[in-house]
Amino acid sequence: MFQGSTPLSAYTALLPGFQDALLRRNLFHLLDKRLVFILNVLEIMEEQLAKKLVDGLREAGISFVTFLPETRLSQIVPLMQQDPSFQVVPVANEAEGVSIAAGAALGGKPAASYMEGSGVYVSSYNLLVVGKRLGVPILLIVAYYGSFGDKRNSFLYALPGIHLIPILESLDIQYLVLENGDNLEAQIKGAVRMMHAIKQPVALLFTGEFTV
Amino acid sequence: MTRYECFEFLAPLITSQLVVGSLSGQRVEWGHLSQHEGNLLVASMGNALGIGLGLALVLPHRKVIVLESDGSLLLSLYNLPTLANLNPPNLVAFVFDNEVYGGTRISQPSATAGKTDLAAVARGAGIERTLTVRDLETFKQEAPQALAENVLRFIVCKVDPTVVHREIQRPTIDQQEHKYRFVRYLGKTEGRQIFLGRG
Repeated sequence: MFQGSTPLSAYTALLPGFQDALLRRNLFHLLDKRLVFILNVLEIMEEQLAKKLVDGLREAGISFVTFLPETRLSQIVPLMQQDPSFQVVPVANEAEGVSIAAGAALGGKPAASYMEGSGVYVSSYNLLVVGKRLGVPILLIVAYYGSFGDKRNSFLYALPGIHLIPILESLDIQYLVLENGDNLEAQIKGAVRMMHAIKQPVALLFTGEFTV
Repeated sequence: MTRYECFEFLAPLITSQLVVGSLSGQRVEWGHLSQHEGNLLVASMGNALGIGLGLALVLPHRKVIVLESDGSLLLSLYNLPTLANLNPPNLVAFVFDNEVYGGTRISQPSATAGKTDLAAVARGAGIERTLTVRDLETFKQEAPQALAENVLRFIVCKVDPTVVHREIQRPTIDQQEHKYRFVRYLGKTEGRQIFLGRG
């Protein structure tokens, strides 16, 4: 099954299965030791970044998060679901993710809405008439797909990625682009401080190391 | 049965509940009949149910009443599966379905004037306690019961299209002021600060 010419993608496709310790041990004997080491390091780096992001949200006081599943930051979801500090709410559409988060914020829970970049397009009406016009603080956790730093970038993502920041700017939503975990907790705290100060949505756009 | 008649009956029943309303005639009519500080009339279509759901989830000890319309709900049907699966027992949604876009100058029919049955849509989404009310007497029986029960209720009220809202003075309160009135009321009744941040 695992031949010398097997492309790397065939191995990486098995990455989720590596969570199982027994399977990991068996594969260790089958795969080249160096490759296993690289995959483990990559996995650990992703987990560390995801944990750092979730730690940052908790320390900044975020306690309610709506989400529509996406790829790039997806590891934060189980971490938040396992953490009693967060009330995590799955939604069917990013537009309602924004409205539900707004309701939570108006009920006294600092709220965030996690979405792929496409979600900003889908929820732009709600961001405008609820987030901006009514004036409700919501932290937007956005996987910045289609950006220069997006390691999964392709024709699927580039065009909506290119227009993402102009959309936020046209809505006058303050944003910060984050490419790595350096100073992450402080940047999340700064964004949350900003959303409370202006009582409006503020966006964090995650690219670079967050898009492995 | 008209929406205004339903509101005239419902408004005196509101005590400590939180009321989230959407747009158009119902905002004008409810704003005219109820001065309750726990009103949050968000003045946009497609948002009341989502905001009400968020409130219900973080305030499980408070009853949240959502006043929706057919046009507004049709704009945000994605709320129904989410509402069904989260199933907040402290939320009651009244959908005043007049089968038209009554806020427009020439009222065009909505999908509910055709084949669409919103209670059936809600039931199909997984909301168990759905009901369609077609007369005022039934509304007067069902509404107090829905407020008293600790279960998610979704009540579609088939109402006649009217232009009552065009004859009533529109609310003069600014939306920011309206929001802060709600937030202050909630803070006072919950005994804590709602909006955070340094002063």
